[in-house]
Amino acid sequence: MLLIDCPYCGPRNSTEFRHAGEAGKSRDLASATPAQWRRYLYEYDNPLGWVRESWFHSAGCRRYLSSERHTGTNEVRWVVPFGTAAPSSTTDEETSR
Amino acid sequence: MSPSEHWRIERQPGEVIDRSQPINFTWNGSPVTGYSGDTIVSALMASGVRVMSRSFKYHRPRGVVTATYFDPNCSFQVGDEPNVRAAHRQVREGDVVRAQNAWPSLSFDVRAANQLVGRFLGPGFYYKTFIRPQTLWPLYQKVLSRFSPGGEPPPIGTPHEIFDKRFAHPDVLVAGGGPAGMAAALGAARSGASVMLVEEEYELGGHLRYGGVESLAALASLRAEVASFDNIEVLTDSVVLGRYDDNWVGIVQRSGMWAKERLIKARVGTLVVAAGLIERPYVFEGNDLPGVMLATAALRLTGLHAVKPGTTAVVFTANSTGDEAVARLRSAGVQIARVLDARKGDDVVRALGRGKVTGVEAGDGSTTEADLLVTATGWTAPTSLLNMAGDRPIWNPQAARFTPSELIDIRVMATGGIVGDGSTAELVAHGRAVGSEAAARARGEVPQSVAALTPYPHPALFQSTTVGFVDFSEDVKSKDIVSAAREGYDSSELAKRFTTSGMGPAQGKLEMVNTMAVLAEATDRDFESTGTTVWRPPYAPISLGALAGRAFEPERISPIQSWHNEHGAKNMVAGQWIRPEHYGNPAAEAANVRSRVGIIDLSPLGKLDLRGPDVVKLLNLVYTNSWDNLAIGSVRYGVMCAEDGVVMDDGVTGRLGADHYLMTTTSSGAGNVWDWLEMWLQTVHREWQVTITPVTTALVSINIAGPHSRELLSRVTDIDLDPASFGYLKVRTGSVAGIDDCIVWRIGFTGELSFEIHVPASYGLHVWQALLEAGKDLGVAAFGVEAQRILRLEKGHLIVGQDTDGLTLAYQAGLGGLVKLGKDDFSGKPELVLQEARAGDHSHLVAIETVDPMLVPPEASQIVVNGNDIVGRVTSSRMSPTLHRSVCLAHVPADLAAPGSRLTIVLTNGDRAEAVVRENLAFVDPEGVRLRG
Amino acid sequence: MAQTATTTGGRARTRGRAARYSAFDIVRRGVTHSEWPRSFNEHELRTTYDVVIVGAGVHGLACAYYLAVNHGITNVAVLEKSYMGGGGSGRNTAIIRSNYLTPEGVRFYDRSVKLYEKLSVDLNYNVMFSQRGHLTLAHNDASLRTMNWRAEVNKLQGIDSSVIDAKEVGRIVPYLDVSADTRYPILGALYHPPGGIIRHDAVNWGYARAATHLGVEIHQQTEVLGIETAGGKVTGVRTSRGNISTSMVINCTAGWASTISDMVDVKMPLVTHPLQAAVTEPVKVFLSAVIVSGSLHVYVSQTDRGELVFGASVDPYPSYSMRGSLEFTEGLAAHILELIPSISSLKLLRQWAGLCDMTPDYSPIMGVTPVEGFLVDVGWGTYGFKAGPVAGEQMAQLIATGRTPDLIAAFDLARFADGRLVGEKGAASVGH
Ligand SMILES: Cc1cc2nc3c(=O)[nH]c(=O)nc-3n(C[C@H](O)[C@H](O)[C@H](O)COP(=O)(O)OP(=O)(O)OC[C@H]3O[C@@H](n4cnc5c(N)ncnc54)[C@H](O)[C@@H]3O)c2cc1C
Ligand SMILES: [Zn+2]
Repeated sequence: MLLIDCPYCGPRNSTEFRHAGEAGKSRDLASATPAQWRRYLYEYDNPLGWVRESWFHSAGCRRYLSSERHTGTNEVRWVVPFGTAAPSSTTDEETSR
Repeated sequence: MSPSEHWRIERQPGEVIDRSQPINFTWNGSPVTGYSGDTIVSALMASGVRVMSRSFKYHRPRGVVTATYFDPNCSFQVGDEPNVRAAHRQVREGDVVRAQNAWPSLSFDVRAANQLVGRFLGPGFYYKTFIRPQTLWPLYQKVLSRFSPGGEPPPIGTPHEIFDKRFAHPDVLVAGGGPAGMAAALGAARSGASVMLVEEEYELGGHLRYGGVESLAALASLRAEVASFDNIEVLTDSVVLGRYDDNWVGIVQRSGMWAKERLIKARVGTLVVAAGLIERPYVFEGNDLPGVMLATAALRLTGLHAVKPGTTAVVFTANSTGDEAVARLRSAGVQIARVLDARKGDDVVRALGRGKVTGVEAGDGSTTEADLLVTATGWTAPTSLLNMAGDRPIWNPQAARFTPSELIDIRVMATGGIVGDGSTAELVAHGRAVGSEAAARARGEVPQSVAALTPYPHPALFQSTTVGFVDFSEDVKSKDIVSAAREGYDSSELAKRFTTSGMGPAQGKLEMVNTMAVLAEATDRDFESTGTTVWRPPYAPISLGALAGRAFEPERISPIQSWHNEHGAKNMVAGQWIRPEHYGNPAAEAANVRSRVGIIDLSPLGKLDLRGPDVVKLLNLVYTNSWDNLAIGSVRYGVMCAEDGVVMDDGVTGRLGADHYLMTTTSSGAGNVWDWLEMWLQTVHREWQVTITPVTTALVSINIAGPHSRELLSRVTDIDLDPASFGYLKVRTGSVAGIDDCIVWRIGFTGELSFEIHVPASYGLHVWQALLEAGKDLGVAAFGVEAQRILRLEKGHLIVGQDTDGLTLAYQAGLGGLVKLGKDDFSGKPELVLQEARAGDHSHLVAIETVDPMLVPPEASQIVVNGNDIVGRVTSSRMSPTLHRSVCLAHVPADLAAPGSRLTIVLTNGDRAEAVVRENLAFVDPEGVRLRG
Repeated sequence: MAQTATTTGGRARTRGRAARYSAFDIVRRGVTHSEWPRSFNEHELRTTYDVVIVGAGVHGLACAYYLAVNHGITNVAVLEKSYMGGGGSGRNTAIIRSNYLTPEGVRFYDRSVKLYEKLSVDLNYNVMFSQRGHLTLAHNDASLRTMNWRAEVNKLQGIDSSVIDAKEVGRIVPYLDVSADTRYPILGALYHPPGGIIRHDAVNWGYARAATHLGVEIHQQTEVLGIETAGGKVTGVRTSRGNISTSMVINCTAGWASTISDMVDVKMPLVTHPLQAAVTEPVKVFLSAVIVSGSLHVYVSQTDRGELVFGASVDPYPSYSMRGSLEFTEGLAAHILELIPSISSLKLLRQWAGLCDMTPDYSPIMGVTPVEGFLVDVGWGTYGFKAGPVAGEQMAQLIATGRTPDLIAAFDLARFADGRLVGEKGAASVGH
């Protein structure tokens, strides 16, 4: 059972959280072409490696959180409140995509 | 068979039986007496039983091999419980024990005829035959399934016994209570850690328990030391099942007073694996004859249960355990006919005998008469838990066993036989060091390495020059592995799957290494490149009952449910809710609403209290329609779409104050909608100020519907119900039946004049009863979900999830008028803008009338064109008690959606019926006069 | 690329016929002690192939087989990073059925069932297809409605499928608790007699054996590391064992599909989720049909050996980890005991996980992509084993003729950009 270190509640079992998808998709209504819009709707990076994503602590503080996790090992590198900057220790290069 | 003490030897220093307490049970119908502390198998051995089972495929007689939980030949039926590990399970008074895979009896099993055709039953036998004629395969299959190796399933009606679960958070968890494991627990406990020490057997001690006097002395002092620590919790007859992500560890506790089995889930600081070593059988002709057993089995039977496993023995030894077995058997009165020492080049070529060992042929060609052949040819490290932590074991050729590689996860450590060998003192020293380091790591200190324990050199012994069994429980021989490899199933995974070696109850613990060795030789590769197969959890089997724990399926009921039950409600399951479907006659309930007045308990309705200056923005974003001009005191119906334009929920939201709203959702959608709103607020519009409080269960919701509803409500409320001041789609707060702060709004899902009251939940029943009391003369009666469905269908109101599905866009649900593409933004807008252009391709929700008014086409009846081409379907249908004809909603393609279009419906019985598309979705009161009244 | 069908000349290779399998041959070899020959011909990895298939699961292997047998295209390499069947095809619970919801789905899976029915004979390899009946239980009226919907669509397409009531369910599977007072009462079930289970390994191996004897090469332990393109066309493949030039690459890697498509920058609407399964120790056979409960998210069948095979829904977050979890077995057991309360003493023996490439509409993605020569046969989610034969057959036809067959036209990649999703999502339930 994955342990997720909620910045509000502390470390909690992943069953308390709902996975809320890959981060970094921008919902750009105004300028999206149909193809871009559908890409936003349906496409995913789905990488085997480090991925930035969101979690919702649905059975806890009910806050959305941002995290980085390795999809091969499930190691969670960091968890921060949604919208806060990622810890500076990780550069974008380290995060495979 | 009569209880016989012939095989029981004199009192042993480490024996675990209580000779003052005889235990009686039956074995295949005959009485057997053992002692308290005996396992079923040790009691049988003491009574002279040697054949424990018949093998799966060839029905060969089989006896004790390991005398442990994982003995491949000792799974019995005990009462109604199948597959009991009888070399582990202790005897209980009155147990009815039977062999499982023998017919008609253990001593004479007809299916042993399979042995004669054994040469044809090679690996992949099934794949190569029964191919033609195809029609006969089902028949063959029926026959094959009779050969299933297990016990009888528990009979229908066997009650779900009591099982339990527990959470634990030990700093250090030690898996394995041998000397190294006990020492690790002590090392950790001394540094102040909370420790859980888990041992599969009934007592701590591991191999010390059945060792010599020195071992027993060491054990006694270790046990005493463990007992002196309050911060060590010892669990015996318990097994660590698996190590999962982030040191989440499952443990099954098998015997205990609270329950039959208990699952403990532990979030562990540091896991120390001290699982010891498993002795490996040797592969040679006749290695499965009853009377061939491992040295550890002989030591266990003699040392723990004081049972002599034979009269005359040959011991084939490659290590000190084998040597110890020689000495022990001798002192137990077994005549040692010959010792074959692998270290000196001796070998065993075959065990002779039919149905039991009568002699042993050695590598030098000589034969020795014996009824017992004990082998000590090497060890397998059960690295399973380490594998689950990401470790890939590596083959150590000097020690002839796999050992852990680098333990990459610092939260997992290992000690004892699994990593190396040593004297008891060395094992204990290593265990202590690992334990104290484990405690330090659990405290978060920088990990330090602990001096390694290295394995002793050991001859590499796997198979003799003859063919023998590699997997007893699956009846796989060494030559089967060889032919699998020749046929191209030459990697470890393919060979294992093709031959099923290692797939039986021991899950490879006994079989894997020998399989690998045979395969390596057959393919002319070394161990390294032959590889290993992955050990999958659980480490030991666990009952479904323990995994399930106590049945816990939460139910939600309204505070009024007791009333419903007392008044004949027939309940239905609606998601988590249990609610009345009707009270006996749904059509009458519906008719009563149309003609008089009815009340329905709508408590499951999702309810969210929304406050803050930006609520309107939120509503505009999540609903497709506009909320800009909703006045205080008004309510509005809205539809929510997901980003892909698909209808996800609907409901009414009312404005109670300047910055205060109450939103209702479908009952099954309540949780989702709440999360959904939070998503928009927290991740997209973080600047908006809105606070959401779920109030679904804080409020009881009651709908009063029917022409007399105003009259009824007026009798119990101080709210001014005059239509001029409290019109349709308005909301008021006030007192109802003496309860203040009730929220009342006028809506009309049923199509009738109706008032929906939201009452503080604890007063719900009171208000409900007050309404019934006050409306007696008006003919008020409760109505259930079914009547409501009829009424809403007559009115042409859709149900999300029934009249829409996982791909229905807002347009398609007849909700086009509620989609305001002019708004800046709302969820689903971009997709709906794109799809609007395609309206012609879409299906549409319409009301239809069957030409035969008495015909109710079952819901899900398909609408077809050109014979059988499906173009649509009936989503809702009922006989209308108001109109005395059927009423239906249906999805039809755009070209059949125009009023008057004729449709062909295929009924579920295959008949076809004609229907016509109506002008309007509503059958009853399309102008809405009644609900506005 | 119809022309490549003939470009097989100039290659020296073993193409020996496969040994015949039958009871007679078993006896003959048993009596004469003659050994069975290799089932899979061995080859050196060459530097050029007409077609390179990535992934030796049922989809890759079936595609290779039908390329060879139906179209004579044999200059084909199937590249597999581990062993054949090491992905979902060797980890699934092998449920085969065709009672889908949409006409396009039903048509497609029905073709697969038909191919499975004669597969043992076609491949001369007993795949042990056991059409023992498939029951999807309904515990509330919403799911009963969906079952009715599926039954109606099925019937109109000639599929044996109907909704039966609780009593009938109890008659077919006496161990199910069909009493009305349970937490999840069984209101009825969608009954699909031709549905059943199969030996997944046998299917994989049967295809592999037949394909290699027709001249196709299977290279295990050969990982694809990159795909080369020039001017928007595929030109070659980089592998852990050397480079290959080819103009045609088929992505048949299911759970890993995104990683392969990424190599040519084709983004996919896929998310990889682990799906877990488990088996119990064997007991004598008592469960004849395959039982699925959508509301309880579990399904169970019993093998001829007597083991109960369980599955559930995918894990709740995306991952490529196949370690499995304890909470999966807990939920599974709780729900199974809701359905069959008497088996609480049966023991779970083994659990495992595989990877599923989930699409937004519970339907696969098959056919061409914007990169010429790069085809996909992915998006098989939790339900793709049953589609192996038809997908292989149709993909082979597409490769041979250059035209997308009708049967798979609805499953094209472009449907997402065009907003034409397939309606299987109409009935969200456990989809095996
Ligand atoms: C637990 C479980 C239960 C299931 N139950 C059912 C069921 O009952 N019925 C059903 O129809 N379906 C079921 N499925 C789904 C089914 O197993 C899959 O959809 C199907 O097997 C996919 O087959 P495939 O050939 O496309 O992929 P796979 O069999 O997964 O094969 C893909 C192969 O690609 C290889 N590969 C990946 N990357 C590379 C690379 N870079 N280079 C070379 N090779 C690579 C992998 O090693 C793998 O062998 C289940 C799945 C699971 C996990
Ligand atoms: Zn939290």
